Amino acid sequence: MTALAVLVALSPLAGSAAALAGARARLAAVAAAAGAAVALGCSLALLVMLDGRAPLFGWDGFLYVDSLGGFFLMTVAGVTLLAAVGSIGYIAAQEDSGELGRFQVRLYFTFFGLFASLMLAALETGNLGLLFVLVEASTLASAALVGLEGRARSLEAAWKYVIISSLGVTIALAGTLFLFYSGSALHLGSNLGLTWPYLLAHAGALAPQSLRLAFLLAVVGYGTKVGLAPMHTWLPDAHAEAPSPASAMLSAALLNVGMYAIIRFLAITQARLGHTYPRAVLLFFGFASIVIGALFMVRRGNFKRLFAYSSVEQMGIIAVALGFGGTLGLYGALLQMLNHAIAKAVLFLSSGDVALRYKTREAGEVSGLLAAVPVTGGVLLLASFAVLGSPPFGLFLSELTIVRAGFAGGSPVFPLLLLALLGLAFVPFARTTAGMVMGNPPPLASPYRDRAAVAVTAAPWILGLAVLLVLGLWIPAGLDTVLRHSIAVIG
Amino acid sequence: MESLSATSTAGVLLDLSGVLILLLAFACLASKLFNRYVVYYGAQSVVLSFAAATAAVAFHSAELWILAVLTLAVKGIAIPVTARRLLVTRLALKRDAAMSTGLSTSLIAGGALTAFAYLVIRPALLPHGTVAAAVVPLSTAVILLGSLSMVVRRHTVAQLIGWLIVENGVFLGAITLVATFPFIVEAGIFLDIVAGVLIMVVFVSGLTRQLAEASAGELRELRG
Repeated sequence: MTALAVLVALSPLAGSAAALAGARARLAAVAAAAGAAVALGCSLALLVMLDGRAPLFGWDGFLYVDSLGGFFLMTVAGVTLLAAVGSIGYIAAQEDSGELGRFQVRLYFTFFGLFASLMLAALETGNLGLLFVLVEASTLASAALVGLEGRARSLEAAWKYVIISSLGVTIALAGTLFLFYSGSALHLGSNLGLTWPYLLAHAGALAPQSLRLAFLLAVVGYGTKVGLAPMHTWLPDAHAEAPSPASAMLSAALLNVGMYAIIRFLAITQARLGHTYPRAVLLFFGFASIVIGALFMVRRGNFKRLFAYSSVEQMGIIAVALGFGGTLGLYGALLQMLNHAIAKAVLFLSSGDVALRYKTREAGEVSGLLAAVPVTGGVLLLASFAVLGSPPFGLFLSELTIVRAGFAGGSPVFPLLLLALLGLAFVPFARTTAGMVMGNPPPLASPYRDRAAVAVTAAPWILGLAVLLVLGLWIPAGLDTVLRHSIAVIG
Repeated sequence: MESLSATSTAGVLLDLSGVLILLLAFACLASKLFNRYVVYYGAQSVVLSFAAATAAVAFHSAELWILAVLTLAVKGIAIPVTARRLLVTRLALKRDAAMSTGLSTSLIAGGALTAFAYLVIRPALLPHGTVAAAVVPLSTAVILLGSLSMVVRRHTVAQLIGWLIVENGVFLGAITLVATFPFIVEAGIFLDIVAGVLIMVVFVSGLTRQLAEASAGELRELRG
């Protein structure tokens, strides 16, 4: 099992290795996709092997995988696979058109693999200090992806991203520090004492005052990576300027990794301080993010920025779900994370196709998508409705669960507010995407080399939409078990 | 992990280092010359490495000794020298004009933040009479001052130095509070800082080439 876990974290490096060995875009992307497929397969195998058994524990707790970690591994590996397959068409088309030079292509795949591998490793460690190290390293690896295109705009976005996220994660390190300090009574001298299962088991001995501070700092710090308002300011720029498959990775994988870190802190804090305090913190940041996300979606303009603000909103919904708590709330939160990851990956990947064909990222300059490229237009429209929580897609089910959790928790004010805000977000988002899809198209040239490239580009969107549809109609028994085990871990 | 008392020799030395580190953070906040930013940061890191060495003696910890040496080599020497060569000299940076507030305003805000750090941290959190009770408010103040200088200064190089000062503040807290972060973690943090500085240097140079002046104040294209 240890070997399997190591393989999950290392296999995305296949793409990096191919790029470093001098492969062109197509070959490197295929290597990256193969690596991601191996990672996804291994993480599924891990989940099956973990089912109901003791978590995987090794190397003094530096390696620790339980159901919750396994669930996130599956999500991140799945997104990596979609994004890697999406890179085959997208990056190769940019290489062919000369928009990206050989060096940039090599840079892209090197850091793409490194980014994925660091995120997966972060999900596999039980040591909270190492979690910080890996999350910060993944920030640095992805900053290179954001700044890849080398124009003033993308460098600006990359600078904002790297400096704001680094500061945020450093604050999370201060939070980790206070968490360890709150355990002074436990004499946490060994490596083992600094792992989160140990801290959770001995939560009763933690000092409440510094634990409070630790949780707040961790939410602010890792919340910066999640894109919770008001620490979200890097997010729209980075998502808009990164190449589309990299935007998909940021929005669908990285944000979830940040949320995973918050969930680990939440579990420990709840075990010691009870529910009231952590829930208040999460509800505050959650609603702030939903409001900010919904308001900024009103502005028309770059469609990737629109999707990015939708990510801020969605992360807010997940934070609110964690704040509602209870079995229902946690179930909804985890399901929402999986659904949002798939839907946002599909949206960003298909928007990359739009950007290639129309040579613009401005929503106002795109029209007639459905007439010009029916597949892209259809996928974009369906994925938009999926993200907005329309039935029959998965997000409808998870958002319904979250609202139910809110009502079950007592006061109807918060779930009603959530419903109102979801409605508010629907209008501007749907208006922009509908405008892109309808109308008469301008004359367009295909950016792809042949029909096979078109098919490969569209494959991850169709696959993602199919999974979303299935998850909207039916939760497979295996997934249900994993979710229930994960909830038991959080407590 | 036992706590050092504030009156032991090591406790007094740690306290003194903390005060010096805070003063150097203030000096950086009050300065307008890029050269000085780098010098003050380097000096702060040297004091920090002295503090780590003090803690290493007090806790009899070989790992802390290694950290003290690493701090001196990486933060005290390598990063300041690199920043000076690659940024200040090569980009011909002299006076930093890109500030969103005046110097006196930012110093007053810095003073207020220091007082705030004492108010928040001191009473409830830490047992009275330990060196941690004296140094952790200082390290919190350093974190806040570093963040403040990132906010009031709009030049990318100044923001980079601000982040490094925040990092130093966290490290100061770490050696007094925990003293036993696993070594792999500490080494990882160092690697992150080095990689972070390198990648930020690349971005700053790229932005300077594109914008003539790499001031984040000029970074106005992406809004809303």
